[in-house]
Amino acid sequence: MTARLSPGVVYAAPVILFLTLAFAMPIGIVAWYSLMPPRTFDLTLAFTLENYRAAFVDGYGKPLMWSLIGATLTTLVCALLAWPTAKALHAHVGRAAAVVTALIALPIFISESVRLFGLSVFMMPKGGILAGSLNAFFGVQIGSILNTRAAALLGMIYIHFPFMLFPLILGVGMIPRDRVEAARDLGAGGWQVFREVELPLAAPGLMIGGLLTFVLALGANAEAAILGGRAVTVITAAIDQRFNYGQDWPSGAALTVLVILATVIIVAPVLARFDLARLTRR
Amino acid sequence: MNGRWIRPLAQMWVVMVLTALYIPIVSVVLASFANTRYMRFPHKEWTVAAYHEAVASPTTWDIHQVSFKIALCTVVLAVVLGTLGAMAFARYDWRGRSLFQKVLVLPIFFPQPVLGLAILLSLTAVGITPTWKTAVIAHLVWIVPIVTLVISIRLFGYDVAQEEAALDLGASRLQVIREVTLPALWPGIFSGATFAFLLSWANLPLSIYTTGIDNTLPSWLFARTATNYSPIVPAVAVIGTLVSAFVVVALVTLRALAARLRTPS
Repeated sequence: MTARLSPGVVYAAPVILFLTLAFAMPIGIVAWYSLMPPRTFDLTLAFTLENYRAAFVDGYGKPLMWSLIGATLTTLVCALLAWPTAKALHAHVGRAAAVVTALIALPIFISESVRLFGLSVFMMPKGGILAGSLNAFFGVQIGSILNTRAAALLGMIYIHFPFMLFPLILGVGMIPRDRVEAARDLGAGGWQVFREVELPLAAPGLMIGGLLTFVLALGANAEAAILGGRAVTVITAAIDQRFNYGQDWPSGAALTVLVILATVIIVAPVLARFDLARLTRR
Repeated sequence: MNGRWIRPLAQMWVVMVLTALYIPIVSVVLASFANTRYMRFPHKEWTVAAYHEAVASPTTWDIHQVSFKIALCTVVLAVVLGTLGAMAFARYDWRGRSLFQKVLVLPIFFPQPVLGLAILLSLTAVGITPTWKTAVIAHLVWIVPIVTLVISIRLFGYDVAQEEAALDLGASRLQVIREVTLPALWPGIFSGATFAFLLSWANLPLSIYTTGIDNTLPSWLFARTATNYSPIVPAVAVIGTLVSAFVVVALVTLRALAARLRTPS
C-alpha cells in the first residue's frame, strides 16, 4: 500500500501535519474567534462582524496604521542602507569580505532583547553611554531621542537591517560584472546603470529582503516597548492588550486577522511569482 | 563618478555599518560593569559585582535552563522534521512539490509576535496551559521551515545516482540511507541544527507569548528592561550570549574532532 505513495508525499507528510496543527489551526481558531460576539469566550455562538467594525471605529485602526507606516519606513531605509553595503561586500571577494559578512551576520544570533537593551543604554539621556561619554570627555551635553517614535523606528531599522542585507547580497551577486561594464562602455551614466541594469538583475534579492523586512517589522513590538516608551502603540501591543488585559478575545482576534490579511495581501503576490527552488539552488 | 574614490568610500561605509551594528552590543557589556541602579556613564567604579550577583541568583540558572530545554527540544525535532521535509523539498520530484515548497516558507514570511499570540489564544481556547513545552511548538513553526531550507540547499547538490549505485551493488534500503544519504546530508543537518539552536536561544517574539509562567532568557531580559532595571540585567545578557557562543564553538570543535577520527591520517 505504502509502495503506491510517492516517496515525496511520505517525506512531506510529517512537516505538513505539523504545520497544519501548529500554524494553520491557530490561524483558523483566531479567525473563528474574530467572528464571535465581543467579550465572549465561546466558539459556538452566531457569527458577527461586530469586532471588525469596532476595530476601525474604536481607534484600533490607529495601531495598525502605525505598524504599517513603521514597517514601510523600516523597509525603505533598510533597502537604502543595504544597497551600498551589499555592493561594497560584493566588490571585494576574499577573506576580508567573508570575515565582514560573518561579522554582520553574528548579531542576528544575539537576542533582540539584548541588542535593543544595548541601544537604549547607548541612547539614554544624561548617564547613557553616548550622552555620558560626550559630557565626560568633551563637556558636550546632548538630549536624547529615547522614548520617542524616532527611537522606536531606529530600533526597527537596526534589528531588521540584516534581514534586508543578506537576501540583497544574493541579489547583487546575480549582477554579472561584464553587463555593467558593457552598459558603461555604451555610454550609460551611474544612475542609468543602476536603474536599467543593476536594479532589475538584483530584483529577486531585493524583493525577498524587502518582503522579509516588511513582514517582520509589521509585527515588531519589542522596539516600541523598549525604545519608544509610551510614544507609540503598535498593533501587536494592541492585540496583546485586548487578549490579556481587556479579556476581549474576539476583538483581539479580529485585529490579528487584520494583520494577517495585510501580510497576505503583500506576501502572496510576490511569493507566487518566485520559484524558490531555483533561488535556493544557487 | 571618479573610480579612484569608490574603493575607500566603500570601505569606510562598511566600517561605519559594522560600528553601528556593534555599538549596542558593546553598550551592553559596558553597562554590565556598573554598580549603580541608574546608568551614570562613565562609571565611577568599574566592577564585576553584577556578574557575582547574576551567578548567585537562582533566576539566572532558571532562565538558562528553560532556554536550554526549549532550544534542545527545538533542535532535535526541527532536525528530524527538517530532514524529512528537505527530502520532499529537494530530493524527490513529486506532484504537489512546488506547492509544498511555497507553503513551507509561509511561516518565515509571517509576523512572529502575531503567530505567538495566535498560538497562545488557540492553546487557551482548547484548555492547554502554556509552558516551556508550548514554546517549543511555537519555535518549531518558525524554525522547521528554516532548517528544511538549509538542508535542502545541500540536497540540491546531491547526486541521486550514488543511491542507485549502492542499491545495484546489493545494499539494502536502510544501508543506503545510513551509508550514502545521511553522510551526504550531514553538513546540512549540522548547519541546520546550529541555526535551530541559535534562533531558538535568541528568540523573543514567540517566547514572550507562549512560555506561560516559564521565562526564557530573552523574555526575562525584555521584562526586566522595561521595569525594575539593575546592572544584573546587562550582566545576565552578556552571560546568556556567551553561553550560546560557547555551545556553538563546542559543536564546531566536536564536529572537527569527529571528522578527524573518521578519516585516520
